[in-house]
Amino acid sequence: MKFKDQFRFVRQNMKKNKVRVFMTVLATAIGCAFLIVLASVGFGLQQSIVKDMLEQRAVTQIDIYGKEEDKGSFSQIKNEDVDYFESIDNVKAVTRRQRLNQEPVYKIGDYNTGASTYVAYFPAEMKAGLELSAGRLPEKANEIVVGYNFVESLYSTTAPPNDIRDESGNIKEEYKYNDDLVGKNIDMKVTQLKEGKEESSTITLQIVGITKKPTREWARDQTVFISESVMKEIEAFTGTPRGMVKPPNDDIQMPEQDPNAYDEVKIYANNLEAVDGIINQLDLNDYASYSVVSEMKQINTVFTIAKSGLIFIGTIALLIASIGIYNTMTMAVTERAPDIGIMKAIGANPRVIKRIFLLESSYIGLIGALIGTVVAYLISIAVNIAIPFIIESAFGEELPETLQFSAIPLSLVLIAVGICLVVTILSGLRPARKATKMDVLKAMRREI
Amino acid sequence: MINVKNLSHDFVMGKRGQQSTLPVLRNISFEVNKGEIVALAGRSGSGKSTLLNLISGFIRTTQGEIWVNDTKVTDLTESEFADFRLQHIGFIFQNFQLIPSMTAYQNVELPLILNGESASVRKKRTEETLQKVGLLEYRDHYPSELSGGQQQRTSIARSLILNPPLILADEPTGSLDSETEQELLQFILQLNKELGITFLIITHDDEVARIGNRTVHIADGSLTQGGTI
Repeated sequence: MKFKDQFRFVRQNMKKNKVRVFMTVLATAIGCAFLIVLASVGFGLQQSIVKDMLEQRAVTQIDIYGKEEDKGSFSQIKNEDVDYFESIDNVKAVTRRQRLNQEPVYKIGDYNTGASTYVAYFPAEMKAGLELSAGRLPEKANEIVVGYNFVESLYSTTAPPNDIRDESGNIKEEYKYNDDLVGKNIDMKVTQLKEGKEESSTITLQIVGITKKPTREWARDQTVFISESVMKEIEAFTGTPRGMVKPPNDDIQMPEQDPNAYDEVKIYANNLEAVDGIINQLDLNDYASYSVVSEMKQINTVFTIAKSGLIFIGTIALLIASIGIYNTMTMAVTERAPDIGIMKAIGANPRVIKRIFLLESSYIGLIGALIGTVVAYLISIAVNIAIPFIIESAFGEELPETLQFSAIPLSLVLIAVGICLVVTILSGLRPARKATKMDVLKAMRREI
Repeated sequence: MINVKNLSHDFVMGKRGQQSTLPVLRNISFEVNKGEIVALAGRSGSGKSTLLNLISGFIRTTQGEIWVNDTKVTDLTESEFADFRLQHIGFIFQNFQLIPSMTAYQNVELPLILNGESASVRKKRTEETLQKVGLLEYRDHYPSELSGGQQQRTSIARSLILNPPLILADEPTGSLDSETEQELLQFILQLNKELGITFLIITHDDEVARIGNRTVHIADGSLTQGGTI
């Protein structure tokens, strides 16, 4: 008997008792929708957290904190380490920066601001994706590049200190710097405590380039990149490595600082897949590193366990629905006993009879799963709209825009439909076997 | 066509642990040749229906052998017997055994569906067969909308549709009036003559038994006449 004909039989049989079949499908659909909605909370929260992490950090970026020398003690990264990093397969760039250990005051005309200041190795920075929105890279010792948002931090020196910023924390329009920066001279004032008195030194620099606007909407780049020789000039004035300001009290010891070491080292992998391999190599060589990918792995493991638990609880609802399917199929077999008897008498193979009933139970399961999936999607959309609204109204707390309570990826739909089908086929198995084993004569005499 | 050798059968009665056996057939042997119409006659409870059910494979026995169309059917599994029935044996039942939710056309078509025939072959053969039994115009009628004679003809059409060499008929006229009974008997003779189909007919009616080439009599589970004792 062809599959098409078996399917036709199933549909004809189902039409005979529409209400009972509808109720069974409904029970299955509710079970399936419950499973999907329950698990979708796990999927949704995981998606939100991972999305949030990815938005905050570049996925191919690996931060290097140092190299473990003895247990618990780490040394700073030096050039030989950088050379090693560059030799690892799939490493695109290794950026290394030295940070000025004080925030100097920058003054351009009547405007000033403070900014984090670094010495950067530009070829590696460019390879890692640093781009300029205006100007060029520095060529001379006194030339500098400033971050895209540096200009926004400049404010007029005439502004009263308590009235510089508006309610949102931005510099008021009237105190803002509204001129070009490229080509302009800017004074950098560094300070040091000398014999208890604060002394300062001003170095005149020239802005030659501005970095590109950060791709992330919320990111602000106010960094200033100076040359190595300017750093040395600062160190000569302060008498401390990286221009560190001496503590006012001699009892306080200054932290050790290797003048050749880097403060911020980042490795950029060629692609996301390569990150794991690079981290493994770094681990083997005792480098302390951090990557968003490692964190994501841990988060994914926790969520996989949570999602499995939710799917398991959801499956219980489906198992309850399967009792309905078992009941429906048992009644169907009993009601159709004479027909089964006749079919077997004229030569229907018991396997065909079994297949027809299994097909019927799986068809009920499939329809239930499809309806359940649609309902689950609708509930998921409603939950995502309603819950933030309810929380905001009830608790007055504004939730992050990226937070998604419920998400239904295709994999969840496939898992739910798969579980639904397995459960319904299993619940139809016993009635189908009963039909197969049915005594032909008793069935034809309507004794079953 | 049918060869029954030393066939015995007991019914097991009672609950488990308190069972007793009731002998129904005792050491029966007989043959039905190809193209014959053989009537199996006997009174109620003589064991004739049990014998037919054993030949059909509806009940199984372990004592004796049954050969149908050169196949030892007593050795077949349930699944193999089902396939064998579909290909080699047609059935006519006393109470027609039509599926009530199917039309005459669908009932007749059923063996073709079970045999996996294509839709076009099914349509052609079903219409031809309905034409042969004179029911083409009733094709869309449900069994409840047909007379007893029409239902029995539908049943005959269903038994003929796969051209089986053997038809087993269990009291085929039991539910029919005398006029329809005569029509049906003539039709069986016609099928036997034109298509060479072998018939084994169970009856307690002498009128029916008379159309057979010979009659095998059964009483108290043993053959009394027409077989090999």
